[in-house]
Amino acid sequence: MNFESHMNELAFTDAAAFRKLAGCLRAMPEREPSADLADRVLAAVDAERNRKPRRFRAPAPWWGIAAAAAVAVAAVALYTFAPSRGSRVAAAAVPSDGLAWLAANQESDGTWSPAKHGGAEIYRPALTALSALALDRAGKGGAAAQVDRACAALAAMQGASGAFGGTDRACLYNHAITTFALATLYPKHPALRPTLERALAFVAARQTAQGGWDYESGSEGNAAVTAWQVRALACAEAQGFDAAKIPLRKGLHWLRSVARDDGSIAYHRDSSARSDGLTALAAYALITAGKAFPGLPELGRHVAGSLRSASDAPLKADCYRDYAKVLAFESAGSSAQAEVVRQRMRTQQKDARPDQWEAVGGRLYTTAFTALAAR
Amino acid sequence: MTPHVQLSEQDDATLMLRVREDDRDAFAVLVKRHQKMLLNFFARSSVQYDYEDLVQQTFLRLYRYRDRYVATAKFTTFLFLLARQVWIDELRRRKQQERLVAGLSAEPKPEYVDPVASDATASGGMDLKRALDALPEGLRQVIELGVYQDLPYAEVAKILGIPVGTVKSRMFNALAKMRTFLEEK
Repeated sequence: MNFESHMNELAFTDAAAFRKLAGCLRAMPEREPSADLADRVLAAVDAERNRKPRRFRAPAPWWGIAAAAAVAVAAVALYTFAPSRGSRVAAAAVPSDGLAWLAANQESDGTWSPAKHGGAEIYRPALTALSALALDRAGKGGAAAQVDRACAALAAMQGASGAFGGTDRACLYNHAITTFALATLYPKHPALRPTLERALAFVAARQTAQGGWDYESGSEGNAAVTAWQVRALACAEAQGFDAAKIPLRKGLHWLRSVARDDGSIAYHRDSSARSDGLTALAAYALITAGKAFPGLPELGRHVAGSLRSASDAPLKADCYRDYAKVLAFESAGSSAQAEVVRQRMRTQQKDARPDQWEAVGGRLYTTAFTALAAR
Repeated sequence: MTPHVQLSEQDDATLMLRVREDDRDAFAVLVKRHQKMLLNFFARSSVQYDYEDLVQQTFLRLYRYRDRYVATAKFTTFLFLLARQVWIDELRRRKQQERLVAGLSAEPKPEYVDPVASDATASGGMDLKRALDALPEGLRQVIELGVYQDLPYAEVAKILGIPVGTVKSRMFNALAKMRTFLEEK
């Protein structure tokens, strides 16, 4: 028996009324899952598996999917609402001096190992890049040698295609973040030029006809991965890499096209959900990378203005979102807002509060982003 | 044709059998196939939650309990059993929290403007939503499983741990209450 056969047993008037009611209920609009929900689920399962290593086979596709969440985080945070439990790796105590911790945990091959710190191994290039950037930015004694080793390790990870590793989604995030990091570090490491040229060729090759980037075939782009590629391209262009110019222009054009009237940014062109993390990332890209283009910095400030004020923001730890918000607020001239977010990040790190992305990015992620967001 | 495409064409029971053998891709297909159904299952509850977190918890349990699934059981029944348990645990956790922090209101979802709610308001569906929210939990779940999911009553009975006759009476009562609620509006 099901609903319909049940109704057949009832008096006609009741059955007619109930059928009509059921029809109305079924016609009510449904929610769409966040674009990254499946990735987060898979990443959470992955984290669980890391705690109890078992028999899983084929690493690549699975990690690829899971990984997306990691860095994708950003955009993605899109609709992301920090899970309250379950998915997270239990927060280990984070040392108050995150940079010292980073420095102490570099592997002998110059990389940082996500798996050792609760993250997903497939993001080793991106997490190595972020860790190196954090150390370089701090400029603490001894960091230069470690950054040198990290640059060499990242260059060695580059494959024949120009990509830095990872599959599917992880590939594009790894690539954008690593390219961005190497372009930032390039002035002190001019030997990276051929590596960067190959990396930029890969970025251009993966750009869609509409100007965005996405890991799904048939998509014209998603704002998260596009914002990261734009950031990498802008940095490379600023260092004199002409190959970045055209892809950058097209990428900015696409990013502009997914800005809604209210200032928020759509993950895909037709997405309805919104996220402060994604919006902040795009705002920063539009303001800084788009400064040579009429109207883009203004649009970026409008986008930044749509962010919820730092003091109103939820207290759920999300280092990716907060990092992006610091960048957005600073670039839009709202330093006070940025400082509130920084303070929150410091507190979260000090309290070892579980982070939204800890299961995929691990402690490396939270530590590096907190350091990179520091004034 | 890629192996992934082949997987996506397989039925739930076959995929679950692969998951039992630790096939990651098969699990990914199941997640993508059923995430929306679960999300709406939780979202139609009368209390505001982090629904996506509940979806995540349900799939985590599915992974943990994958060895308990037997192919003779309908997959969605198994999944809803897990979802319901997640829901009950969440209610318990909430109640415990409420006792600890009396008066603390539920934190709104931080980064989501609910398009469904606004659509519902615009189309006059809000009364319907209120009518559904006004139902006691036991009745609402029968509506959820029997109407929205259109599960056979035997499956609904199995998920809720009640006899089929009780499913029928609850369905009748739920619809009658909703009708009364709407007529009074």
